[in-house]
Amino acid sequence: MTLQELIDTCGLESVFVPDAQVPVTAAYTSDLLSDVMAHCPDESVLVTVQNHKNTVAVCTLVGAAAILVVHRREIPEDMLAAARREGVALLRTPDDQFAVSCKLGAALKK
Amino acid sequence: MSEAPQTPDASDAKNEPEPAAVNEPLVLLELIQRLKVRDVMTAKLVTVSRKDTLREAQELMKQKKISGIPVEENGRFFGLVSVDDIIRALGGGYIDDACSRHMTTQLVVLEDDMPLSFALRYFDRYHYGRFPVLNRDRRLVGIICQRDINRALLVELANELNRLETSFGQTPGLDGAYSIYVLREYPICKYDFENAGKAANQIKKVLQEKQFPPKVIRRIAVAAYELEINLCVHSDGGVLSWQVSNGRAEIIARDAGPGIEDVEWACRDGTSTANEWIRSLGFGAGMGLVNVKRVSDEFEITSKKGSGTTVKCVINIDLPVAT
Amino acid sequence: MTMIEMADVLKADLLVKGEGIHKAIRHVVASDLMSDVLLVDEDDMLLLTSLASDQVLRTAQIVGAAGVIVVNGKTLPSSMVNVANDLRMTLAVCRLSKYATCIAVHEALKKT
Repeated sequence: MTLQELIDTCGLESVFVPDAQVPVTAAYTSDLLSDVMAHCPDESVLVTVQNHKNTVAVCTLVGAAAILVVHRREIPEDMLAAARREGVALLRTPDDQFAVSCKLGAALKK
Repeated sequence: MSEAPQTPDASDAKNEPEPAAVNEPLVLLELIQRLKVRDVMTAKLVTVSRKDTLREAQELMKQKKISGIPVEENGRFFGLVSVDDIIRALGGGYIDDACSRHMTTQLVVLEDDMPLSFALRYFDRYHYGRFPVLNRDRRLVGIICQRDINRALLVELANELNRLETSFGQTPGLDGAYSIYVLREYPICKYDFENAGKAANQIKKVLQEKQFPPKVIRRIAVAAYELEINLCVHSDGGVLSWQVSNGRAEIIARDAGPGIEDVEWACRDGTSTANEWIRSLGFGAGMGLVNVKRVSDEFEITSKKGSGTTVKCVINIDLPVAT
Repeated sequence: MTMIEMADVLKADLLVKGEGIHKAIRHVVASDLMSDVLLVDEDDMLLLTSLASDQVLRTAQIVGAAGVIVVNGKTLPSSMVNVANDLRMTLAVCRLSKYATCIAVHEALKKT
């Protein structure tokens, strides 16, 4: 499934999407960057509350395609700038981690 | 020789705002209002008369281990001889002169039925080591020094604590729970993650035992927890105190540093100075103060870079409608 | 569905059987940030977290959670079991990731 398809299926807000056609095959839910570093699969969407520029850096390292910030938390300028630099997509949702993880799970199963 | 000593200007004192002690625990505020100067002062006086020599005064001071002696005759107060006066006399070679010639007469005195808070304010303002105490008839009835105050407060606090402990042991009905007075203080150390959150857990337990409404307990506990974690993560260590009285819960987090540069910024959602290490412990997402604000009816933060931060929040406890 | 049933479904190791073990789970929160958890105004929640620290349990007590499940099959510090016992908080460890646990929990709750 492409990132765009996932965005449409789950009703996600695109804050910054450099390439909507990248494949997404997995998701990972975490707020601990060390944990993301250790376990987050590539071609994935990272579901997190961490609206922080370091989250972008970690996603670049593990090859995650997008960061999905929950609770529609504000994206700080420096995080957006980092995402632009690294080519990582930034998405938002008003849902919490549990709800949106379930949605992603249902969409990616198809 | 100048005239009789000055009475403290009570009217002036009354016009002043209350002592800058709004942040003091309520129990202390109550005590310093309730206690009178006469409850605290030393009434067993060591005095000299006007014709006694400074050397005799010095001898008495040495014997009784005191630093000032009132000059008094039959209850009438004339002045005070202090250690400073003695030192000057020794230097000036007039130690054998009569006290009346060199005693300090420009004195501020207190009245015995003033509340202790007055005395505290005068110690603060005049930096004297002691104040003579006169009664309404202008007769000398005692002397008060800071040590007297410390001792009296300690004794009274111990009594108060006993009273609290006793009332704590009982299980009051719902009504009793709201009027009950609870005060606790917890020291919080920097980066002490082993204990961070313990105080809030205890607060919750106590409130549950007191059968407070669950919604109120949750709000108080959330505020306490966030403030406790804040002290642990951001301050050099501080004190978390909470008290419940008369339908109000008040939680105060006070630290001695390092202070917050931009308080408004710190209170915004998602802003934090926490490092990656703190983040890896599940804190520092910049939601703490926002959370405290959210659950509080009153929220107040004062801070200065380089000095301390005090956060105070109040949660009103509405009595549930009786069914 | 209760905590004890949920632990069974998830094949989680139930380390501490606390007060909320037989309570019906009324809400699920997944988070590793404790302030995020404190935002939730729901009773009897199940807390899913990848954080293995005492504060997880302390936070769970504050919000009156039914129980805590630590994901990713983490090895817990021994203090966590002590704190859970002390606070009488149900504590389990699940081998799945938090993402996978969310989906599994959702499935399990749908069935009941």
